Amino acid sequence: MIELRYHRPGSLEQACELGRRFAGSGAFLAGGTELVPDYLRGRETATDLIALDALPELHGIRIDGSVLRIGALTTVAEVAASPVIADWLLALAEAARLLGSPQVRSRATIGGNFCRAVACADLPPAAIAGGARLRLVSSRGERELEASAFFTGSRRTVLEPGEVLAELLVPAPVRHSGTSFQRFALRRGMALAVVSVAARTVLDGSRIAGATVVLGATAPVPLVVAEVDGLLRGQRASADLFTRAGLVCAEVAQPISDIRGTAEFRRLLVGKLVPRALAQATARAEGRVVS
Amino acid sequence: MSGEILVRLVVNGEPRALAVKPATTLLTVLRDHLDLTGTKHACGTGDCGACTVQVNGDPVASCLTLAAAVDGAQVTTIEGLATRGELHPLQKAFVKHGALQCGFCTPGALMSAKALIDRNPCPSADDVRTALSGNLCRCATYPRMVRAVQSWSEFDGVPLDTKPHTESERDQQRDHAVVGHAVTRSDAPDKVTGRAKYTADLRLPGTLVGKILGSPIAHGIIKRIDVSRARALPGVLAVITGADVPDTWYGVSPAREDEQILAKDRVRYVGDEIAAVAAVDEETAKQALSLIDVDLEELPAVFDPDAALAPGAPVIHPENPRYAGNINTRVDWHFGDVDAAFAEADYVREQRFVGNRTYQSPLEPHAALAQWEGHADRLTIWSSTQTPHYLHRSLSRTLGLSMGSIRVIRPAVGGGFGAKAEATPLDFCAAILSRMTGRPVLMEYSREEMVRHFRGRHKQYIDLRIGVKRDGTITAVDQRVVLDGGAYTSFGVITAYYAGSMLPTLYKMPNYRYHGLRVYTNLPASGAFRGHGVPQPRFAFESLLDMIAEDIGIDPVEIRLRNAMEPNTTTCNALDIASCELTQTIVRAREATGWREKKGRLPPGKGIGIGCGGFVSGAGHPIYRSDFPHSNAVIRVHEDGTGVSLHIAAAEIGQGSDTVLTQIAAEELGVPYDWVWLAECDTVISALDLGSYSSRVTLMAGNAVRRAAALVKTKLIEVAARELGCDAAALTARGGRIFLKESAETGLEWAVAARRAFAEGGPVVGTGSYQPPKNLGGGFKGSTVGTSPAYSFSTVIAEVTVDLETGFVSVDRVTDFSDAGTVINPLTFHGQVEGAMIMGLGETLMEDTVIDPTGRLVNPNLHDYLIPTVCDTPDIRTVAVESYEPAGPFGAKEIGEGALLPVLGAIANAIYDACGVRVTELPITPDKIVQGLRAIAGSMGHPVWSSDGAGHHVEALVR
Repeated sequence: MIELRYHRPGSLEQACELGRRFAGSGAFLAGGTELVPDYLRGRETATDLIALDALPELHGIRIDGSVLRIGALTTVAEVAASPVIADWLLALAEAARLLGSPQVRSRATIGGNFCRAVACADLPPAAIAGGARLRLVSSRGERELEASAFFTGSRRTVLEPGEVLAELLVPAPVRHSGTSFQRFALRRGMALAVVSVAARTVLDGSRIAGATVVLGATAPVPLVVAEVDGLLRGQRASADLFTRAGLVCAEVAQPISDIRGTAEFRRLLVGKLVPRALAQATARAEGRVVS
Repeated sequence: MSGEILVRLVVNGEPRALAVKPATTLLTVLRDHLDLTGTKHACGTGDCGACTVQVNGDPVASCLTLAAAVDGAQVTTIEGLATRGELHPLQKAFVKHGALQCGFCTPGALMSAKALIDRNPCPSADDVRTALSGNLCRCATYPRMVRAVQSWSEFDGVPLDTKPHTESERDQQRDHAVVGHAVTRSDAPDKVTGRAKYTADLRLPGTLVGKILGSPIAHGIIKRIDVSRARALPGVLAVITGADVPDTWYGVSPAREDEQILAKDRVRYVGDEIAAVAAVDEETAKQALSLIDVDLEELPAVFDPDAALAPGAPVIHPENPRYAGNINTRVDWHFGDVDAAFAEADYVREQRFVGNRTYQSPLEPHAALAQWEGHADRLTIWSSTQTPHYLHRSLSRTLGLSMGSIRVIRPAVGGGFGAKAEATPLDFCAAILSRMTGRPVLMEYSREEMVRHFRGRHKQYIDLRIGVKRDGTITAVDQRVVLDGGAYTSFGVITAYYAGSMLPTLYKMPNYRYHGLRVYTNLPASGAFRGHGVPQPRFAFESLLDMIAEDIGIDPVEIRLRNAMEPNTTTCNALDIASCELTQTIVRAREATGWREKKGRLPPGKGIGIGCGGFVSGAGHPIYRSDFPHSNAVIRVHEDGTGVSLHIAAAEIGQGSDTVLTQIAAEELGVPYDWVWLAECDTVISALDLGSYSSRVTLMAGNAVRRAAALVKTKLIEVAARELGCDAAALTARGGRIFLKESAETGLEWAVAARRAFAEGGPVVGTGSYQPPKNLGGGFKGSTVGTSPAYSFSTVIAEVTVDLETGFVSVDRVTDFSDAGTVINPLTFHGQVEGAMIMGLGETLMEDTVIDPTGRLVNPNLHDYLIPTVCDTPDIRTVAVESYEPAGPFGAKEIGEGALLPVLGAIANAIYDACGVRVTELPITPDKIVQGLRAIAGSMGHPVWSSDGAGHHVEALVR
């Protein structure tokens, strides 16, 4: 590894300032489970590490009125084990339980999973499906945006130099809504997603009142398939309907071929996983009677 | 903010303050700053879990964790698990359940387990699997780990002993005192505490770190190397290139010595060794490598046998006309009259099969530590090797030293599976660099470097044709195999012979033709890997046999029974089979699995399949011509008579051979297991043993040990006979006593006899050696490969679930019945078989080394080269059938390699049963299954899925 300088700001303000000062040569350090291997593979070259672990405002999971606030430094293990997250956005907890290995989940953070912006990251599709928003903080102030608007490309985000992802804001689940996270990997333990699908459906009586499908590992960024809502809204849930939704998603997906799967195989997986995600989300929506 | 940072940690309860660089990982701090070498470095990228420690209670990959980022944390390592010498109940559970083999992953697995039970003292099996899902174990002790963790609290407060944990682990068949009992492994306590020292754990004062520069291109001429910038770097003590190493060509096969320590003028694959450096630390060594300027003239390269055999293909070894046309080895065998027999067959089917380039992936990277004693011109080398003797010999020949001036020590070895069966450039370069610098030099491959060095499984292109009578009796077999050898020979000559020689050992086949062609390519060299050359031909054979059975309407079990090998048979290729219980393994596997109710009757997506296999119990001939016995043991009784030293250089690499040899010694001597101390493998202490390959240790080293023990016993019985005033022939020894066979009360303590013997004549010593029968083999070219004093046999029935939408295969259950002769230790026996099942599952379903169009490895890591995790492990049932092998010690033969062989075919056949897709190209990935399912949907038939495989140049040569 290269020679590094280590900074450990004591306040978010300081962190933002350091980030701005080392624009181009700095990197924020959260869990390090992506950053350290990226250094080893020569993919990361930042010379100034800005450790965020001393910032209490980035930690913790708490309900704030109709919003669940998840600090960016919340570890993936904490997300996986949190009863509140499981209640508010089950798909996110499910994605967290599948991410990496227990050793990685102990250190990796939800913020890091967003900010490293790897195409096969597990948490972003689930968060986006749940309508999560992100709060970004910089020396110039702060802004909020839809989680889906965060990614601009593979390993690229809207974050400006000196801007820190502070927290995820998850809206309260509405009655008769449910989510699901489905993933295909080449083995059962410690594996990366070949394709992942997060889905959320809302029911109005026996009909679907809204549906969101987000695809992971099928494009440089998590892909929200807007067409699904149009296809499903107002319809009765059925296997046939969900299969059609899967085919629509398979067409929209822009997968690449790599060592984990060909583009063609990924497309096929999208077509198979989307119906499973929609069916499970819908079954859960039927069960959720309280908001 | 820059430079070093002060980090405060509480490590295993002790406060520590350390100055570290920001980039320093917690792993480096533990191993290099605090000497806590129980935490292992295996992949360095967080993909294996060997470096797991607890940070504030959580399991953490210490290789991914910057020390600075855990300032103030409580860190617990494996060394902190035991308190005041008393093992933690988890550690005892691992020992008692045999939940470790090579032990390299064990500390990390234990720390993950500890983090689990701290939160959840009564975990379910699923909880354990989740908690251990980030801990790869290539020996695949997963089922035992799960049981051990679940039962940890049973061991709380229970003193640790070596007794079998459960009665069910006991051998049911013969009345021995030690042999046949599931005593705990002799190396287990060291391996569960982190005390076991692997090569890279050794610390000598002043040790330098060596690194090797590999070629960036697949084929080229070295025009110029400039090392001046590297030499000038502060902290660099030596830089060597091809010009600084002996001109000797070397290789583990004397028939094809085609390797050089460092490239002299030509590089032949990406990674081919060009230069090496020794420096004060790893960082400096790596930096020095980057300062070496190499001017290479790139040549056209070939990456598969077809391209290598094409007219005008670049010649990879122009130095030797013998390798013209890139042909490394050619085998032409014909036994019986194959053409006539095919003509007589009622049904003939032929199929092309293609294998995968699997890598052994031992968790421990190769390492060597060399110390040159300049004044005596002697070399001591500690090396992670399966074959200390071949390493010893290679060092002697390449460095021009007598073997007497080289001392080879094999510390604990973290798995090999064939990857560590020959000397590596690490061994040679460490020795040379140590001589140049006068200091010890430690060299270790990174995960990427070890995969680049490779010596993994040959990718084989197999054309197999089988002819049968209407009742399924095999009349003729024709096999043509092209092996992609990579740039060097390694064990490849032998691989090419093994790929043909072992087929006739399993089923009776009177007529057999085999053409083998091993071809050089500009890829990392392939070598010997568990089952050496045989798994892919066996996969092909078991698959094609099932296809034929279906075509002619015979049950797959029936067709195997009809052709199964019988005891005391000489095969068509002149191999002598003595004990053979293949039929029993097939029949019992069928009964145990409910085969009749399941085969062809399971719901869509569920399938059952059978495969058989078997292997040699030690090669009948060494790699090089030699009259020496293959295994040699010395036993010395301690003067007090309550301890025994066993000196043997057999290579414990995780399979449990030290334990088995200790049991054999104890049994024959008539003393308790705990009395025997097995001296570490050190050529100064122990005599020649050929090492751990060809599944030879239990039979060969076991016989040597038994003979040495018998001599000692005879001496002591003579003393006892005099004391007791009886005939020596009337006495026997058991459990630490020598007594009358007819009347056990009359006798004396073994130790008393031993003390008397020592008083009379000094040290009581017995020696024993083992040499296989001299006349093995048929006398035709290559007939020695495949010879063995004994053969193992086994049957596996696999039950699978195929996701008919995604093609994902879950292996739900595997049932193994093995004929391994007498089982010396049920604990290690079942552990080996379980490991073979899981490794076989990986080879069948997920493993392949992928090469890009420029010859670079795409997945030289544990991130994208997937091996099975605990979560991928099926229910496994393993049974040893009743068998006795006259050539083996107490009737024993091999288990480690043979057990792997049936697995590939059994799973492939089960997948076919589940979904109608016959995949003939390994690995059987979901993608291939889905393509097969689509083809079925399109054609309403059962397609055979295969890609193009090798092309017409190969065809032309082998026909």
